[in-house]
Amino acid sequence: MCSGAARFTMTDGVGGPGLWLIGIGPGDLDHMTERARSVARECSKRFLEGYTAVLPPSEEERLESVVGSWEKLMRNGVEKPNKLLKLASKRPVALLIVGDPMQATTHIDLEERCAEEGINFHVIPGLTATALAVSLSGLQSYRFGRQVTIPFSAGDYLPTSPLEMICKNKESGLHTLVLLDLDPTGMGLETPRPMVPGEAVALLERMGERTESISSSLDQPIRNWVGMLLSDLGTEEEQVVSGTLGELSEIGIGYVHAFILPAEFSGMEESAFERRRLPN
Amino acid sequence: MGRKEDNIKRATEVMHDREKIRNLAIAAHIDHGKTTLSDNLIAGAGMMSEELAGKSRVLDFDDQESARGITINAASASMVHTVGTDDYLINLIDTPGHVDFGGDVTRAMRAVDGCIILTCAVEGAMPQTETVVRQALKEKVKPVLFINKVDRLINELQVTPEDMMSRFEEQITKVNTLIRLFAPPEHKIDWQVSVLDGTVAFGSAFHNWGITAPYMQKSGVNFTQIFEYCHNEEQKELAKKAPVHEVLLDMAVDKLPSPIVAQKYRIPNIWQGDLESETGMAMLSCDSEGPLSLMITKIWMDPHAGEVAVGRIYSGTIKHGDSVWALGGAKSERVQQVSMMVGSDRIQVPEVSSGNIVALTGVRSAAAGVTVTRDEDATPFEPIRHYSEPVVTVAVEPKSMKDLPKFIDALRTLGKADASLEVSTNQETGEALLAGMGELHLEITVYRLEEEQGIKVTVSEPIVVYRESISSNNTGRAFEGKSPNRHNRFYIETEPLPDDVTDALREGTFGDGAVRNKDAKGIGDRFAEFGMNKDLMRKIYAINGTNVLVNDTKGIQNLHETRELIIEGFNDVCKKGPVAEEPLMGVMVRLVDAKLHEDAIHRGPAQTIPAVRKAVKGALLRSKSVIFEPIQNIRIDAPNDVIGGVTREVTTRRGVIEDMPIEGNTASVIGVMPVAESFGFSNDIRAATQGRAVWNTENAGYVHLPPSLFHKVTAEIRERKGLKSEIPDELQYTD
Ligand SMILES: Nc1nc2c(ncn2[C@@H]2O[C@H](COP(=O)(O)OP(=O)(O)OP(=O)(O)O)[C@@H](O)[C@H]2O)c(=O)[nH]1
Ligand SMILES: [Mg+2]
Repeated sequence: MCSGAARFTMTDGVGGPGLWLIGIGPGDLDHMTERARSVARECSKRFLEGYTAVLPPSEEERLESVVGSWEKLMRNGVEKPNKLLKLASKRPVALLIVGDPMQATTHIDLEERCAEEGINFHVIPGLTATALAVSLSGLQSYRFGRQVTIPFSAGDYLPTSPLEMICKNKESGLHTLVLLDLDPTGMGLETPRPMVPGEAVALLERMGERTESISSSLDQPIRNWVGMLLSDLGTEEEQVVSGTLGELSEIGIGYVHAFILPAEFSGMEESAFERRRLPN
Repeated sequence: MGRKEDNIKRATEVMHDREKIRNLAIAAHIDHGKTTLSDNLIAGAGMMSEELAGKSRVLDFDDQESARGITINAASASMVHTVGTDDYLINLIDTPGHVDFGGDVTRAMRAVDGCIILTCAVEGAMPQTETVVRQALKEKVKPVLFINKVDRLINELQVTPEDMMSRFEEQITKVNTLIRLFAPPEHKIDWQVSVLDGTVAFGSAFHNWGITAPYMQKSGVNFTQIFEYCHNEEQKELAKKAPVHEVLLDMAVDKLPSPIVAQKYRIPNIWQGDLESETGMAMLSCDSEGPLSLMITKIWMDPHAGEVAVGRIYSGTIKHGDSVWALGGAKSERVQQVSMMVGSDRIQVPEVSSGNIVALTGVRSAAAGVTVTRDEDATPFEPIRHYSEPVVTVAVEPKSMKDLPKFIDALRTLGKADASLEVSTNQETGEALLAGMGELHLEITVYRLEEEQGIKVTVSEPIVVYRESISSNNTGRAFEGKSPNRHNRFYIETEPLPDDVTDALREGTFGDGAVRNKDAKGIGDRFAEFGMNKDLMRKIYAINGTNVLVNDTKGIQNLHETRELIIEGFNDVCKKGPVAEEPLMGVMVRLVDAKLHEDAIHRGPAQTIPAVRKAVKGALLRSKSVIFEPIQNIRIDAPNDVIGGVTREVTTRRGVIEDMPIEGNTASVIGVMPVAESFGFSNDIRAATQGRAVWNTENAGYVHLPPSLFHKVTAEIRERKGLKSEIPDELQYTD
């Protein structure tokens, strides 16, 4: 048996020591599966990863009553996981992750480290904002291309590949799910401050100024593009609206946002889009 | 109307007649008489009493300047000089001679088109003379020569007329050799100075007389007469026949270029914008109707008006109430006062136009080297690069913590007014590090804090600023730096740059900062002229001081997106090397490979910058880090009977004596000495010679710190900086 794969299991109960990566769903803890809850409760120590995604404050308060006592782990604790792994080599340890554990590269890295050090590693999948976004958009799931994230810029630094990918998707007739960066410092040290829709649209426009006309999509001002704004998916405040990016960038409510930038509509997609229009 | 007021009125009139403007600096070795001469010119033009001229040193108006008898700030003054029936406006800048203030000379040269290089008839051309000639020529500023203190040659040294002629010839030849060496190719010949052409004058600034060949012809004064006047103590008479201000200002008008002539060849040298554009054409022709282009060359503190920015207008006109951009500033600012400088007086005028030197208030974000325009997006002037870098640091903190906010404010102002000073403050502890050109420079800065700003401070012993470099390379053994999330990896190789390339970088030959894509080819080709690999250097990413970063990778997807971040990581290490967090010197950093995460969100600043930092630091350690220490050239003149004490002082301080010429009763010790050993030298040398020695120093670059001192020195620096005393090894940078 080769070591890494052998230790990767999706178990029913918690046996001995090991690291359990547990998806707790996109926000509202009601989206957490029964299995996730019971495994989390059975572990002897629980951490909430608070750096690649955020939980609404009200849910954070509720978490203890659902899974038991827990501690928050920020970027350093995840990227330099020596302490975490040491603990997991002795006891069952849960790392609670907003959404699904294996959607962030950071966590895939944990699997690799556990394999290197011979620590048992398990995953309990969770419902993701990504899945919710597709399902609540009314658009066809098979028509989505590669998803992108818009990072905060820092001084002169502003990557243009997200916009390039959006255009590429469009040209291939694929919609793009656009996630927004959570942490302007990039340091993952404090509680994140998610990017707001207005910032995201402004950044896309700046990317547009930097890329030489790579695509005919850019012939039209980015502000006039149509899109769907999905806010606080999987929470009480969940909201999905469509409109031009100019209109959507004015929206001031909501905490964590994502966009869908559609390609040419097909079938009934257009009417689904129209039904979600902002009221004038 | 008094003569002075009348002069001011005439000055504001000629100001607009650009063919009748001369902008000039006076530059020389320390104490050769620049300020005495400048005062004389101002007095002669009726801007101060002639009795005082040469005695009061009006342009040394700062109390530290008066007390120490040296110039610290380059001061400017405008005056009117009449030739025939025509009025000319002379904008004059007196510069400091002490090496610690050399940055001011460089900046002054940006403001002027011509320069009076002054030498002392007795001492001749000295080390600083060479430096100032080089500074002038680099800015394409045309030189003329004034040999000063001729009275001493005649009366004290009792030379014969023949002796005098041969001494002059020797000095002129020396200066011409420098001109041939450093002048732009097209002016190597026609900028040579000569007595017959009238581009050489000699005289006595102190006794107010001077002479040139053309003036001899005009006035009938000849050599024999000059000797007679001097011998008979009738220099006052001589000053009436050949007043130095008249002779020198005639020379300036006749031999130095007007802004219209000079800007044609100076602008392409100092501005990289499009010369065919409206702004470019306006500057080439010094058009006062064109867009405003002004470069700030000096900031000083006026006790009443606050910050005054002095600069040269290359095109356009500036008026009270104008709204302007100091490029790089956050917003446009309104010009409050527009003035011209006359000695210590700042005279407000309604407007000043192109080709002139102007003083402004209200433009608070201006600093020396900043371009001021009306257009926010205009191309700035080339930065003014000064050859020397700070070599000495002191730590300063306020005695009372309640002074902290005031202290931090005062430092900010000082740092802005003095571009040669590097200030870094720790906002929490209140400790500040002042890095400067030498002990005197820092002494004066501290004096300003205490006396002018009224903040009592404690000051550490001076500390030398060392440089980190490498003695080998890690070619073929690239160092891998990982990002914290381990998804991005950078592979770096480092090697020492050839000495001539490092020197050229220091002189700003290739510029500084991030290299724009479109400039990379041109800059690479210039490196190739130094024998470097052209194809490699065309892939240059950035220059930081004397270090370069090159992207030697091929076809790595998305690498261009992380360019700024890679440069930032490189810059961090240039500022703080791996051995002792001292600045890096003379290193080529090559990025040879990289692995990047596909998604930009996983290779942002917090991932890429530390990864690059680690890769560069590890590569440096793998290339055998070394420490360089600053050294200075020294020259000490003392009577023969005490010179033994001088040589002893020099050799006990790790000094190397290169030459000991003897002239009459005076012996000179010429050599080099580490800056680290020079603290307190002036006291010791005074004691050893009963105060009879005169000495000069000049920063002379860096040499390898002797290996026997490496561990002691690095441990000291690390301890001072609160770092672990042992030097990290490369393993610390692998993860
Ligand atoms: N005998 C004589 N002494 C002079 C002459 N010119 C200047 N001095 C003296 O030389 C000394 C230095 O003169 P400054 O005018 O301060 O020299 P400087 O070049 O401005 O000096 P720094 O600004 O410190 O570089 C003073 O004591 C002057 O009186 C001269 O022509 N003859
Ligand atoms: Mg002076």
